[in-house]
Amino acid sequence: MALLAPYLPLPYPPHESDLAHVAEAPYSMGSTGLHWLGTDPQGRDVLSVLVFGARTAVLLTLPAAFLAALLGSLAGGAAGFWGNTRRLAVPYWLLALGGLWWGLRFPVPLVGAGVAALGVAAIVLALLRPRPIPTWPVPINAIVMGAATTLDSIPRLILVVAIAAGSGVSAPGLLALLTLTAWPHSARLVRAQMLRIRTLPFIEAAHAAGLSSCKIWLHHALPHAIQPLRTALPLSIAGLLGLESTLSFLGIGLPPDVASWGRLMSAIRNEPDAWWTLALPATCLIASILSLNALGRSRHKSL
Amino acid sequence: MKPHSSAFFLLCAAIGFCSQSCSAPEGKDLAIRVRCAYDPESLNPLQLPNQQAFDAANLLHVSLLQADFSKKEIAPALAEALPTAELVGDSLTRVSYRIRPAATWDTGGPVLATDVAFTLKLMFCPGVPNETSRLQFGFIQGLIPDPHDPRRFTLECRGQGTEYQQATGDFFILPEAALDPQGELRRFSLAALQRRPQNAPDSGLAAVARRYRALAPGKLPGCGPYQLTAWEKDRYLAFRRKANWWGSRLRPTPFVLQARSQKLAFVIIPDAATASLALQRGDLDIFPQMPAREFARLRKATAARPALSFYSVPSYDVVTAGFNTRRPALADALTRRALSHCFNAAGLLQATQMGEGQQTVGIISPLDRQNYNDSLAPVPFDLAKAEALVRQAGWQRRAGTETGWVRTRPGSKQPEVLQVSMRYRADETTFATIALQFKAAAASLGIAVSLLPTEAGSFTTALRTSDFDMYVRTLKGNPFMFNLAPLLHSRAIGQSNTTGYSGAASDRLLDAIAVAENPTRRAQLLRKFQTLMQAEMPWVPLFFLPTRIAASHELTGLHVTGLKPGFALTAVERSAKSTPTP
Repeated sequence: MALLAPYLPLPYPPHESDLAHVAEAPYSMGSTGLHWLGTDPQGRDVLSVLVFGARTAVLLTLPAAFLAALLGSLAGGAAGFWGNTRRLAVPYWLLALGGLWWGLRFPVPLVGAGVAALGVAAIVLALLRPRPIPTWPVPINAIVMGAATTLDSIPRLILVVAIAAGSGVSAPGLLALLTLTAWPHSARLVRAQMLRIRTLPFIEAAHAAGLSSCKIWLHHALPHAIQPLRTALPLSIAGLLGLESTLSFLGIGLPPDVASWGRLMSAIRNEPDAWWTLALPATCLIASILSLNALGRSRHKSL
Repeated sequence: MKPHSSAFFLLCAAIGFCSQSCSAPEGKDLAIRVRCAYDPESLNPLQLPNQQAFDAANLLHVSLLQADFSKKEIAPALAEALPTAELVGDSLTRVSYRIRPAATWDTGGPVLATDVAFTLKLMFCPGVPNETSRLQFGFIQGLIPDPHDPRRFTLECRGQGTEYQQATGDFFILPEAALDPQGELRRFSLAALQRRPQNAPDSGLAAVARRYRALAPGKLPGCGPYQLTAWEKDRYLAFRRKANWWGSRLRPTPFVLQARSQKLAFVIIPDAATASLALQRGDLDIFPQMPAREFARLRKATAARPALSFYSVPSYDVVTAGFNTRRPALADALTRRALSHCFNAAGLLQATQMGEGQQTVGIISPLDRQNYNDSLAPVPFDLAKAEALVRQAGWQRRAGTETGWVRTRPGSKQPEVLQVSMRYRADETTFATIALQFKAAAASLGIAVSLLPTEAGSFTTALRTSDFDMYVRTLKGNPFMFNLAPLLHSRAIGQSNTTGYSGAASDRLLDAIAVAENPTRRAQLLRKFQTLMQAEMPWVPLFFLPTRIAASHELTGLHVTGLKPGFALTAVERSAKSTPTP
């Protein structure tokens, strides 16, 4: 229904205000038709806002959940597979550090550019004159788990609210924000699974057959390690749905003209008698979250 | 079990005592708490950024003349009587005042003509934040003190404006002794300071400016009835009446000099619903500018419990949508007029004010029958006309798409796109409704509008730095003075002329209105000005708001009126027979 919202025969578009019928109760006659579920304090048709709010929720939380799962899988899978044992040639280190310095705009960005250029020069030299290059360890596990623990130690709502309120995010910005704060859970699940899988005989056999570790990781280990995400993904979507609604309720999520259940619920603050602006979107939200939880449970049983 | 129970009850009692003492600060019973939607930001009397700042400064300072809310007219405050005006030749007016002998500074020193001269010079002192005052009082070219009476003086004004008698008394007087003890400004005449370039160096003037800027907010000495005791940004401002307030020695105390409450507090609560709850709980005493629906709901709900009083009168506050005329797409009047037809002012008045208030053709109130141009009609909501005007302005539908308008100006290779962003204060539901209606209407024409609800402080900054295409805000007026130069004159661009609009014809009219010799002539000019503004459309005046105030039933002396801020704050007091708040 959410995806078909633009094609549904709704009596009013979600962004249009019926100014003569503001905060009207359900089943009231409007300017050009019936407001089946009433209007909000700005005269918008609640039915249309609910349908398009569902669309907003789907279009925002589904990609965010998938992207967070992807990011978490890659990070957690790498951390679990290689731990802190991976090593990287010094020129690549220089390139990465220089790029980071420059990218994060540390003082005197030219220093970063210079270090990166040094790294590139060393890589070119190494390609021209093949000889052993010194390497430094890359503590993938420590970096990934450190980042995840840091993110987990800050209450997610506070973190998202602080960033969203400070920067005034747009819809793509909110998508990025939700993704970047939701990946640690997937990373922990995949890492835990990967720690078990990397000791299994078929992985050892692949190593013995001479396959590169990257190939083993991507083609053989990772597909098995991400199995728990089948259960976790619906729960992650449910969590993001709740978070998006909370942000919109607080007025710091999506732009005011984008239909959202959370924003509709917030209308009750200005119009305490308009119970339908709270009850109906809250029902939709609860039903969606319960359904997603049930889906997660059924996936878990099937595993 | 018993010892445990006793300990538990003792703990509960201790927590109860602590919470009681925490939630009931000293003087809670005395202070009259007024809701403020946002922080005043600055209390610099020479450049007050918003109405909240003006209301707060009004407690700390006194001007020569002030609005008497009981009679709805201008009355003498620091001045002993209304001034006398004398026309000199055909281009000069002399307005004479005498300061009340009882008027003193906190130090006990008298308020004298030298303080008035100092204040006027401070308005033109380089380095002092005084742009608004400089614009508003540039017509005063000198002060002639009376050699026999240090309290008597004459202000010499350029031109012969009918408003000069009122306009010359509309600024707060500041103490020379406290701000310029060396008398640095005495070396200059007012006219010399007005002519002086802002960047011309002078160590004496720099020292005065430095001393002025170094004063902590609210610590600028004033001769007003109250002193600022606390200012927590975005939380509250607290005021206490001065022990030796000179106004209280006057018998009878004039209405404009009354200061009845011992303590006053502005409580900053941006969210109207939260403020309404606070009012119902008794944590607030006065809620000015209450949203229409909440006002109606509360009035209905408390009908059986008379804890609150409700007042609604027409005001001089007009909701206006402004254009940033510096933006290339909005630089021409045709495009602005086209967009003005996308506002459904009648519908918005019904939706946001429940039909109370009045549609208008300009920023002069329809209540002012003499000056309001009733030969004009309010801009109608007409999308067909809007589209025709957009085409007339040279815009064309972008090829291959249903949305978007483009035009290429002669001599320019880059096509302009007709898309605008609209800023408004996020805490105002009226503005949000206007913005949503406008966006929907514009979208039906294929004009993209992005909405930018903005926090109050950032909104002021955005207006000052021209970081907007369109805005929605309330302009506050009064029925006494019509000096519109700070709002629309080309001299005020970059300062208080937020739209950036300028035109030789409008400048001439604004100058002429300021010096109109009589009310009839002024009315003619004002009507002409409204016609010009409707043609040029630098802003779209939508409707005048009513003043809606809900206040605790315990309060008396509110004197609710359409004049800003809507009630006489200094005349309010708690009645002796107070009704307990439920």
